[in-house]
Amino acid sequence: MQIKVVMSKLGLDIHWRGALVVSRMLRDEGMEVVYLGNQFPEQIVDAAIQEGADVIGLSTLGGNHLTLGPKVVQIAREKGVDALIIMGGVIPEDDIPALKEAGIAEVFGPETRIESIADFIRSHVKNTIA
Amino acid sequence: MEKIAEYFDKKDDVSLGKLLKEVENETPISFDILKHSSMRKGKAHIVGITGPPGSGKSTLVSKICKQLAAKGLQIGVVCIDPTSPFTQGALLGDRIRMQELAKTPNVFIKSLATRGNLGGLAASAADVVQVLDAYEKDVILIETVGVGQVEFDVLGIADTIVLVNVPGLGDTLQTLKAGIMEIADLYVINQADRPGANESVKDLKMMIRESGKVGWQPPILQTVATEEKGVKELIESIHEHKAHLKSTNLWKEKRQERNVARLDTMIQGLLSRKVEEYIKEEDGWQHRIQEVKEGKTDPFTVSHEIVNGLIHKNNSKSGGRYVK
Amino acid sequence: MSNNTTNINQEKKLFDQEVIKEIKAQKERWQENTVKGKVGEGDYYSDSGIPIDLLYTPEDIKDIDYLKDIGFSGQAPYVRGVYPNMYRGRLFTVRQIAGYGTPEDTNERFKFLLKNGATGTSVVLDLPTIRGYDSDDPEGEGHVGAAGVAIDSIEDIEALYDGIPIDEISSNIVTHLPSTTVVIMAMFAAMAEKKGIPLEKLSGTNQNDFLMETAIGSSLEVLPPKASFRLQCDAIEYASQNLPRWNPVSYNGYNLREAGTTAVQEVACAIANAIATSEELIRRGNNIDDFAKRLSFFWNLFNDFFEEIAKCRASRLVWHEVMKDRFNAQHPKSHLMRFHVQTAGITLTKVEPLNNIARSAIQGLAAVLGGAQSLHVDSYDEAYSAPTEESALISIRTQQIIQTETNVVNTVDPLAGSYFVEHLTREMAQRIRDYIAEIESKGGIVSVVESGWLHREISDFAYEMQKNIENGEHKIVGLNYFPSEQSETKVEVFRYPESAERRQKEKLQKLRAKRDQAKVEAAINVLREKCHEDVNLMPYIKEAVLAYATLGEIEEVFREEFGLWQFPLA
Repeated sequence: MQIKVVMSKLGLDIHWRGALVVSRMLRDEGMEVVYLGNQFPEQIVDAAIQEGADVIGLSTLGGNHLTLGPKVVQIAREKGVDALIIMGGVIPEDDIPALKEAGIAEVFGPETRIESIADFIRSHVKNTIA
Repeated sequence: MEKIAEYFDKKDDVSLGKLLKEVENETPISFDILKHSSMRKGKAHIVGITGPPGSGKSTLVSKICKQLAAKGLQIGVVCIDPTSPFTQGALLGDRIRMQELAKTPNVFIKSLATRGNLGGLAASAADVVQVLDAYEKDVILIETVGVGQVEFDVLGIADTIVLVNVPGLGDTLQTLKAGIMEIADLYVINQADRPGANESVKDLKMMIRESGKVGWQPPILQTVATEEKGVKELIESIHEHKAHLKSTNLWKEKRQERNVARLDTMIQGLLSRKVEEYIKEEDGWQHRIQEVKEGKTDPFTVSHEIVNGLIHKNNSKSGGRYVK
Repeated sequence: MSNNTTNINQEKKLFDQEVIKEIKAQKERWQENTVKGKVGEGDYYSDSGIPIDLLYTPEDIKDIDYLKDIGFSGQAPYVRGVYPNMYRGRLFTVRQIAGYGTPEDTNERFKFLLKNGATGTSVVLDLPTIRGYDSDDPEGEGHVGAAGVAIDSIEDIEALYDGIPIDEISSNIVTHLPSTTVVIMAMFAAMAEKKGIPLEKLSGTNQNDFLMETAIGSSLEVLPPKASFRLQCDAIEYASQNLPRWNPVSYNGYNLREAGTTAVQEVACAIANAIATSEELIRRGNNIDDFAKRLSFFWNLFNDFFEEIAKCRASRLVWHEVMKDRFNAQHPKSHLMRFHVQTAGITLTKVEPLNNIARSAIQGLAAVLGGAQSLHVDSYDEAYSAPTEESALISIRTQQIIQTETNVVNTVDPLAGSYFVEHLTREMAQRIRDYIAEIESKGGIVSVVESGWLHREISDFAYEMQKNIENGEHKIVGLNYFPSEQSETKVEVFRYPESAERRQKEKLQKLRAKRDQAKVEAAINVLREKCHEDVNLMPYIKEAVLAYATLGEIEEVFREEFGLWQFPLA
């Protein structure tokens, strides 16, 4: 089945290069990527619901990962969205355990090969919902 | 089946999202969802927005939605983007031009990739629209791919076709002449604050006159979508077209035609899938196909053999009443 | 200078053209007999795609007329530098960015850096401030004081510069967007006046680039390019009339480059923006010489050492042409391009982070060889977080080593005359001119942003670059070339003061309670009206600031009156 990814910049974070390059390269990996630009947690989850996303990708360099990241997970689970939620950007190693604890499935740093993000997605996506 | 009815009765975005996901992916359960939803035919006015790339379709759709939503209408939006023929992946970027709708509660946006379909829509677009209709949306806007070629598919599912263009049509107009001009019910010159807008309107007028169209005369509207100018008038025109369809009974006729067309598409789809399965099932066919490949026999003969073979097989199995 | 005939021009060529012919012939022979078949054949390119030859000779610069095309420092065409005595006269300013937490927190870091040899302050603002929201705005949650300092009102600017001699050292404020610039500049000027410091004494730089808002950074609630461009011009016009030592703009090639462009595109976009600014200010009735000398630029230096040096030299050359030939600027100062350099953050790796010290040092050296006016050397831990005190100090030390131990500052433009560097400088200049022409053929810098053309250029470059990194064509040491075997590097991460958000919100609440609300509203209403008139908004913003209107309140006026723009990205 075609994997659908909803990709968003988190909150006010202004760096779009990473999110867009990852989006384009996940497309090259055969996925369908819905690019949202910048959104806040509530709206990201709404988009994931409407799009039937298998994956929610969050990108941030702005230091809001610890506040807004877990919030996306929390709202998603409350609304019954079980999409895989992953994060990318400049995120201190020390914060990764807390993010994982909160339900972020994986955190990818700036030097990650996009291929490995794709592999991670393919091996972790749940295939059916209804 | 009961569970599907539940999902339809819930009337929330989460349930609708789940139904559409099945339909989009043509999962086994989608057959039942579509069957169920076709009995729940709604009242939606289905509007197709088409036009060349860069004409500002997404922004226009965004502004139309904003104004319709403000009136309390329930809106479904279907945006189509191309699938890469090399990787099967797609980048669906329409939402970024619709960011202002993110906090608008009664707008539901579904982005679809063409997945190999060439007519300007996704393979599942008609199905998605049908489910949205059954979900009691008042208006469903379909934004076609807009990659430049003529996009006829939208004709088969929309009540009203809006063709968006920008000033300085020139060559575009020539290619459009080849067909799509006749199908539009409304013409929009977007970015009408740019030079050449009046000329474009004049050109369009001439072309419509030359086409000698009877009945509904397509209006030409000027908009500046980024500044929300002319959007109100566009919406009024869309409503007028709907009123025209209703008053001339075309509303009903179009729907009836669509029902038959849907049946047609489904038969074709089912048949080709059945044929594919049948070829795989029976070993002999690979041999015959190889012969066609090598030019030892002709494709006409073998295609007849395969189809007849399938029909014969099913006749002997099920009494020939239906294929499924 | 150029009232010469062709004949005389011929004589002024650097080399005897007969000798050039001989060199050409000999080089061909050398290539055929000596080089052919040796390792290293094939095509080599600079980072921006310029073909690089195995060896350069006078033939590659045979058309150069030294006096006309290269000349002397402090003289046209300024290829060799903008000041006659360059670094002997004044060393490049050591500028290290600081900014986190509340203004009080950052003020402490300022004092630390100045004590250790920084010769100016440079501050980054947090995201809510840059994006025009107050610290108590829900949109800013999680960002307050995080990646920069939070500024809400004139009180915060006063706290930020408390005890800093702003009339003696220069203050760089990384405001990014014009909408932020106009407010912060108004606060800065108002603060100085309250302290009794004449505006003429203030020196410093604002970033103020509309491309930051509309092309480089994406966000929600972006002002339309035309509106953002107008505010950019308002700040420049106001400063040119009131703050004669202030640089009201630093055309931000840097962040364009970080987002994804070549060195050529970086410079061309910035100059195209400066051209558009000049046209607008002239339309408003200013004379080119009133403001051109205050325009400054901001470059990003990557690892392609000679290309970056050539870029610095070429950018001065092209700017001189633009000002002299296109705008007919008369004042010599209008002709010279001053620029700040920051080393390339995006070239820093997270693996083996100490390697970044070497990268930044090489980039910093290129900046000095390229004649930069001020320099920020990135800290090695920037791929992890904002710099710690320790890593910020290494950056300062790197600059000091270049300044004092290498002796490169002792002579002007030491690479001039290198066949390769001169050739590359001319090649870069031509490509910059061509790209400016391409932008202008599409309606100019504002139009290419509105249409999304520039975004596609950036996105395509970034995408290709990532592919080249992944397939190993673009080599990065420790990452895809001799990949690091260290599994994990422990880097001490700088932690933002967690209480900053709370402390900042408390201050803001107090301010809102004690200020004269009627006065605030009156000032805001005047500003609102003026948005729709063809006037400079700066005086009205300053009035609002003095009435203790907050940054978020003022920028809300812009959002409401100018409307919002959808970022054209796909």
